Parts: sequence; C-alpha cells; structure tokens
Amino acid sequence: MDFQTKLIAQEGTGMNLRNLILFLSAACVLPIVGCTGSKSGSAAKQGTVGIAFETLQTEYWVAGFDAIKEELEKRDFAVLEAIADGDPNRQLQQVKNFITRRVDGIVLVPKDANSCIPAIRAANEAGIPIVLFNRPAAAEADVQSVAVQADNYKISLETVGFMIEQARKTGTKHKAMIVMGDLGDINAIGRRDGFDAAVKGNEDVIDVVARVPSEWNQEKAQAGVVNALQANPDISFLFTSSDFLLPSIVSALKSSGKYEKIGQPGHVILGGFDGDATAYQMLKDGYLDATGVQDVYFEAQASVQALLDLMAGKEVEPLIHDPGFVIHQGNEAEMADRTWGAKLVNSQE
Amino acid sequence: MMKNNKFWAMLLNRTPAILLLAVVAIFGSISGRFFEPQNFLNILVQSSALAIAATGMTVVLLTAGVDLSVGSLMFVAVALAGKMIANDQPVWLSFAVAFMVGLAGGALNALLITRFRIVAFIATLATLFIGRGFGLWLTNTRAMNMPDAVTALGASRCCGIPTPIVVMLLVTVTIHWFLVRTPWGRQVYAVGNDPDAAQKAGLRVQPILFAAYVICGACAAISGLIALTQTGAVSPSFGQQKEFAAIAAAVLGGTSLFGGRGNVLPGTLFGAILFQTIENGLVIINADPYLYPMVLSAVIFLAVFLDTSRQHLVANLSRRTLQSVA
Repeated sequence: MDFQTKLIAQEGTGMNLRNLILFLSAACVLPIVGCTGSKSGSAAKQGTVGIAFETLQTEYWVAGFDAIKEELEKRDFAVLEAIADGDPNRQLQQVKNFITRRVDGIVLVPKDANSCIPAIRAANEAGIPIVLFNRPAAAEADVQSVAVQADNYKISLETVGFMIEQARKTGTKHKAMIVMGDLGDINAIGRRDGFDAAVKGNEDVIDVVARVPSEWNQEKAQAGVVNALQANPDISFLFTSSDFLLPSIVSALKSSGKYEKIGQPGHVILGGFDGDATAYQMLKDGYLDATGVQDVYFEAQASVQALLDLMAGKEVEPLIHDPGFVIHQGNEAEMADRTWGAKLVNSQE
Repeated sequence: MMKNNKFWAMLLNRTPAILLLAVVAIFGSISGRFFEPQNFLNILVQSSALAIAATGMTVVLLTAGVDLSVGSLMFVAVALAGKMIANDQPVWLSFAVAFMVGLAGGALNALLITRFRIVAFIATLATLFIGRGFGLWLTNTRAMNMPDAVTALGASRCCGIPTPIVVMLLVTVTIHWFLVRTPWGRQVYAVGNDPDAAQKAGLRVQPILFAAYVICGACAAISGLIALTQTGAVSPSFGQQKEFAAIAAAVLGGTSLFGGRGNVLPGTLFGAILFQTIENGLVIINADPYLYPMVLSAVIFLAVFLDTSRQHLVANLSRRTLQSVA
C-alpha cells in the first residue's frame, strides 16, 4: 500500500456526497473531451466494413485512413472505425467487437507482423475476410489474410539510388547518415535494407558513418542527427526512413549550419520516404533531393478491392505490392498528381 | 577503519556522479570527438527537456507518488501552443497558454488524488490516456510544423549560454532551493518519508501533495516547450513515454521510488545528463542501433541496483563496531 492509499484508509470511509457528484461530473465530461472519435456509420445496402488502425501518428496513416473510408463510402459500404493507439491487445478487442457486430469485412493496420495473428485468427474463425493495410502478418503464421504493402525495399533502393547518382555528379566522396525508424517495425527494416543495398557497390562515392535509430520519435531524431554531425561534421548525404521526421532533421541541420538549397555550397544531399506534405514542400523549395512515395491511393483502392473480392469468394494474392515511385527535382511536375503529400499541399494553398 | 568506511560511504552516496564520469570516460576513450566542448554543450541542450520533466517528477516521487501523465501533458501543452502559433498568435502568448495548460493538468491530477482520493498511479494513468486522446483530437492527428521563430528560440543564447540550458538551470535551481531551503520543501520530504507521522505532526498533507502535482504539470509544459523549440514540429507521438524517461532520470539521480529521499541538484540533473550522455555517446561512436536499448537499460538497472544496495551498505558502514572486552 503506498502512502496515499494509507491516507485514504486513515482519513475516512470514502467520498462524501459533494465529492461524489463532482467526481461523477468529471467522469462524464472527461471522456467526451478526450474522445478521438470512433464513429459508426449507419447500415448501408452493400454491408459494413470495420477499419482498425494501430495508430494515426503520421500524415501517411491519416491519409490512408481517409482514403480507405472514401473508397468504401464510394462503394456504398458503412464503416466502423477503431484506433488502437499502439496497443495490440486493444486492437484484438476492437476486432472482436467488429466480429460481434457482424461486419462483412475488416481492414486492419497491425502494430507488427506477429501481434496481429490472434486478431486475424478470430476473423478467420468467424468467416470474415480481413485485409492488412501496409503491414503484412508473419509469413509463417497459420492464418488467412491478404496484405497490401508498399515495397519498402524497392522504393528505398530506388530513392537512395537516385541520391547516389546526384552524389556521383559532384565528383567527391560523401559521408552518409541514415535515420532509421523503429527496429521492431518491418517497414523500417525494409527501408534500411533498401538503403544498404543501394549503397553496396557504391562505396567509392558513399561512406556510411552514422546510423541513427529514431524509434519514430522526433526528439530522438533531432538529437541523433545533431550528435552524428558532431562526430562527423563533413556528413553530406542523409536519408531518413520517414518524411515525418524531416522537421526535426531540418532543425538539426540548421543548428549545424548545414541546411542549404540544392546547388548551394554545403548542401547535404537529402532524401526521404513516404511523400508527405512536408517533403513535397521541401522538394518544391529546392531543399530535398528526392523522396520515395508510397502510393496511398493505390494501396487504399487495392485493399478495398481485395476485400470485396474475398467477400465475393474470389481468389486473391496473399501479398499485393504497391510499387511506389521516386519523386525528385527532375520529375516533380509530372509526379505531383500521384503524390499524396502534393495533394495536401495544393489543397491548403 | 573509520576512514575507510567514510570513504566508501562517500563514494556510494555519489553513485550518479560516478556513473556519469564512468560513462564519459568510456565514450571519450572510444572517440576523441566526444570530448569536444561543443559536444558537451549538445548534451546539455539535449538534456534540458528531460531534466525539467524529471525535476517535476522528482518532486512527486519525493511525496511517494508518481505522475504517469507527464508525456501526455507535454503533448497537450505544445499541441495547443502549436495550434495558436499556426493561427498567427504571438509565440509568447502561445507559450504562456501552454504553461497554463501544464498548471491546469497538474491541478487536475492533484484534484483527483487529493480530493477524490484516487491512487496516484490510477489517477495519472487515466489523465495520461485522456491527455493523449485530447491532444490527438486537438491536432486532428496531423503533424504541425512550426515557423522558424520557434526553432530560433531553441538556438538562441542568453548571456552566451544556450537558452534551453538557462531554462533548465533556472527550473532546477529554483525547485531545488524550494525543496532544501523552505519549510514547504522539508514538509515534502516529511510527507514522503512517513505520511502518518507527518499528519500526526500537524502537517497539512493534502495541500503539499496538491502543490507537488501542480509543479510536476508546470514542469511538463516547460519541458514540452523546450523540446518544441528544438524539434520544430508537433507530431502525434510528441512526449510519448516521456514519463518513463523522467522517472528513469530521477531514479538514476538517486531519488527513491518509495518517497522521502532524493534531490534535484545534483541528483536528478545528473540523472538526466547521464541518460542523454549515453544516447549521445552511442551515436558519436556509431554503435549498432540494436545496442541502444540494451545499453540504456543496463545502465538504469545498474543505477537502481546500486541505489537499492546503497542504503543497506551505508547503514552497515556507518554502524558502530562494539568489541567485547575479554
């Protein structure tokens, strides 16, 4: 018993009426204030689909969430929404709730490849088709699901490949840094592997001197980049595993006096992954060399189509790859229409 | 013999400083860059946000309580400030409002604990989730990038010293002074040591607890603002799990989780700097990223182990040895 519990035990038998009323008022108000909105649509002609996302932490997840909802609503489906805030157990309960409410299909973004297995198994046992958006389940698992995933390895390989081309044009050898994501996230690992594969064979131009783990945390990314630049002030090549870390990286580059436009002396060749609004704006402003774009609209459409096919009893490939693409200074005008971050920027202008 | 005992007791009482020196020596021997003055300045700047949050946490831990909502409060405070700045409100006003949010969040925790008598762990766990949810709703789960004026604050200097370090020193020195130089501070220790005895001695325990949680909330908001001036963005994961880093820094600095023992200076400040020094050193030596959590948790474990052993050892060392006369 901690001392505050002891105090309670000592001071009395519990709340008086006034305190009880105050507490109940607070208890009624707080959940309303704190609610992030788990909405349910009304019944529609075609059926109901549950969408369970692990998080809405980045613009990419928000864009994906909106795109899937839009795609389902376009096809006259009602939608149930749930966000697990990074908790696999909560997500399992959310999927079970969907099953109890007899949804016709489920779109799931799991926390990782393994923690989603019980949720998929529950859906399988209930005979409800389930599609995993952006993160597939572990290959060896004895459960049935379809996954739509960006080809993290290929997109990173191509993005870093483009950056290396730019580095080679300068005629000098570059010291490089990679800002990695959460090492427990299969997407982060795919991007790191793509980076490594691109660098392999190009050691005459690129020397990787810093690997900064960010755990998808901006403070860690900012501090890590500052520290890496302290250890290697001549770093001139930087790849981040997600564009959402760019503001922190820019802050770190600025504090080290290394944030310069392309073509200016001291420019750090900068590349990212995702294609979010910040990256697109930096690309337009001439600070970012390239970013690998996950085609969120393709992924949303493919997820919904796969779900409908499964509901109709059709055979569907277990893994559908979003090939993605690289947007860079040379093709910005051409690829902007397919870049979800560009659409966000243009809608705000 | 007595001299030896005193020496070991002195060493054991300075575990955080010794650990910090050991870590500095190890990283410094691996990379010469580590010893550069600019790197020490980087470590101090990067420690600022954590040290301030951990200072607030120390006050709460001294009362034998805990505040799990620190990270969420940081998030809500900077989310609101970020919203205001994005809507062209002056930065100073946005920061002032964020500070008030910290005070209000701390007061809410205090109210739940002192008025509704909910155990601190449960009350602050609830406000952790409420705060995170509220912050996500407020930001619409979208990252907000701050204008250059905000990051310029983080890069600014006051009397030649980086502003984050100045703020860290102001907060830690002020709270340390209150804890060791005022009757209120002594009452905090008394309540943490033995609440029953403190109450019987006539101390008004509830207002002391109330103030501790309000201070913790205020520190969380300041910590969030310092972090914001460095990252230049509010992401939906802002401040996530910062409460655990704050607890770890306080414990690394010798603050007892059972209350009544610990200090802000040098304890918690050393703890926060030690925490950041490890992260800095691992990047400087370009360590394998998989090593980071293992090294950090090993140092925290070592510090807690030494702290747990310390009381027992110090008691043994300072015990008088009586010899029977034959």
